[in-house]
Amino acid sequence: MLVQAAGLTIHALDRVDLQRIAQAREVSARAFGIWRTMLLAPPDRRRPLLEEADLPPGLAATLDREPAVVPGLPPPPPHLLRLFRVEALMGGPPRFRPRDTLTGMRGDRMLVSLRLPDGDWLNLAIRLTPPRPWHSETFLAAFALMTVAAMGLILWATRRLTRPVRQLAEAADRLGRDVNAPPLPEDGPREVATAAHAFNTMAGRIRRFVQDRTQMLAAISHDLRTPITRMRLRAEFVEDEELRAKMLADLAEMEAMVNASLAFAREESASEPTVPLDLAALARTVLDEAVDSGEAGAEAVSYAGPERLTVRARPVALKRALANLVQNALRYGGVARIRIEPQPGGVVRLIVEDDGPGIPAEALETVFQPFRRLEDSRNRETGGTGLGLAIARNILRAHGGDVALENRPGGGLSAVVTLPG
Amino acid sequence: MEQTQHILIVDDDREIRDLLGRFLERQGFRVSLARDAREARRLWPLGHYHLIVLDLMLPGETGLDLARWLRGQSNVPIVMLTAMGEETDRIVGLELGADDYVPKPFNPRELLARIRAVLRRAGGEGGERAREPPARLIRFAGWTLEPARRRLTDPQGAEVPLTGGEYELLNVLVERPNRVLTRDMLMDLLHGRQAGPFDRAIDVAVSRLRRKLEDDGRNPSLIKTVRGGGYVLAATVERVS
Repeated sequence: MLVQAAGLTIHALDRVDLQRIAQAREVSARAFGIWRTMLLAPPDRRRPLLEEADLPPGLAATLDREPAVVPGLPPPPPHLLRLFRVEALMGGPPRFRPRDTLTGMRGDRMLVSLRLPDGDWLNLAIRLTPPRPWHSETFLAAFALMTVAAMGLILWATRRLTRPVRQLAEAADRLGRDVNAPPLPEDGPREVATAAHAFNTMAGRIRRFVQDRTQMLAAISHDLRTPITRMRLRAEFVEDEELRAKMLADLAEMEAMVNASLAFAREESASEPTVPLDLAALARTVLDEAVDSGEAGAEAVSYAGPERLTVRARPVALKRALANLVQNALRYGGVARIRIEPQPGGVVRLIVEDDGPGIPAEALETVFQPFRRLEDSRNRETGGTGLGLAIARNILRAHGGDVALENRPGGGLSAVVTLPG
Repeated sequence: MEQTQHILIVDDDREIRDLLGRFLERQGFRVSLARDAREARRLWPLGHYHLIVLDLMLPGETGLDLARWLRGQSNVPIVMLTAMGEETDRIVGLELGADDYVPKPFNPRELLARIRAVLRRAGGEGGERAREPPARLIRFAGWTLEPARRRLTDPQGAEVPLTGGEYELLNVLVERPNRVLTRDMLMDLLHGRQAGPFDRAIDVAVSRLRRKLEDDGRNPSLIKTVRGGGYVLAATVERVS
């Protein structure tokens, strides 16, 4: 825009100069013409000729007995004299030379009084019309066109320049959520391609790092199952009832952790097909199984929503996600209520509510991180593997949905699940 | 159950094999142990086994190969031990004709309950029952049950999830369509015990199942209530192998 304005100014100034010179040329040429006419015409024809003369704007001529330039008027600045080539009048051939030439300024007009041979004075008043650089219509149209074109070019250029940066930012954001996000295209200007390549290399390293850790987790969990099975069998030979019950409870917890770790590790490479699934039946199944396994009393769970609701999903994975949310609700909130609310546009909202104390607002997001638990649940009283919510979110995001936690104004926590229809 | 039942355990982990053997012996079974498929084949002609507990993960010849071989020999019931995640193996195993599976790490009492249930089912139909080939799909009233995956799909093709209890109940019902099953019979088939006077578990499971099958609870047309306390699946059942 600045460049535009500067260009315009230069153009305008240039035009002002041109206009001024052209105008001055015309004025001086006409003035000279009138002078010659007056000089050559018989004295009695002078006046009518002057009246008939078509004078350009800014030039007035009268024939008087006295000069219009009276003593005391300031002399015109030299550049005006030069501009109108007043000296040319005086420097002409002797027979065209006026007997006397007087110049002076009155206001914004330059007065030139030329004395004819018979003593009359031709008084010329030259007014410089202010130059109008914006006057031309074609100029305005051209200017508008140029501005629009320049703006368009500038926009295109900036977008082209910033697009790779924006793509990089978006890719970094995606990588934060999903390490298996597709790589950036490595094209465009050399600097951009280099940055994209560096980013892809970094993403690849992070991916390998995460995969290594996940594989390690899976391997450890997998190998733990044999000793857990052995210990379970050994526990059956313990005579002390109480000791045996405690051992079995510990083993059940270990198994839950192993299974959760495996589920977390495996989610990355899940290949379960997506099929039509009755979400309402799934919600009731998850709640009923919590009751059947003794995790909850029949009165602690409830379902509200449509009798049938078909969505496309991976049944085993989605069941695990919902089971984790229900387990959390029961563990920390004592109850688990599922509501299903189909939204306009096919999106389905599924809400798991509990009546627990809720969690601090700043922890609503961080509890989704693997192995992240609230400080006061770190003792194993309330148990949990620290993977339940992370697994649930992984699964739901893989379905194109998500899950978030909300403290309800009246108390209690809601896990709000959204699923595409 | 007067005659001691003989179980062959095939597992490559020595400790698990021995401990499981001792555990089952304490429960009154006679037990033989095999380390791998080769040893199992060697032991096979030496005893009259009522049931095989088979770990699918065996060194050398796999558990699946052994199960296939065993099926070629007899209809002896097979309970598979599977690792979580070996879903494909489990499904193949069930389709091959294994009777049940227990995921590792298993709970010994759960395994015991499954063994007893499988033996009861096998024995209840006349010992060396004339086994039907295992059904891949069971169709009734537009619904489809896929036993290997424990999966029920509605007439429109949408999967309808079932709890473990609901699946077991439905399985028992579709195996005996149009036959009245009393609560006691159902309890025995499902849990191996008689229903007590306050035992509402069967009724709860039936009402849940009716809801999922869109069977009106007040005027059921699919799982009908029989006066005097029993249920009957009123449908034509088609088994697809």
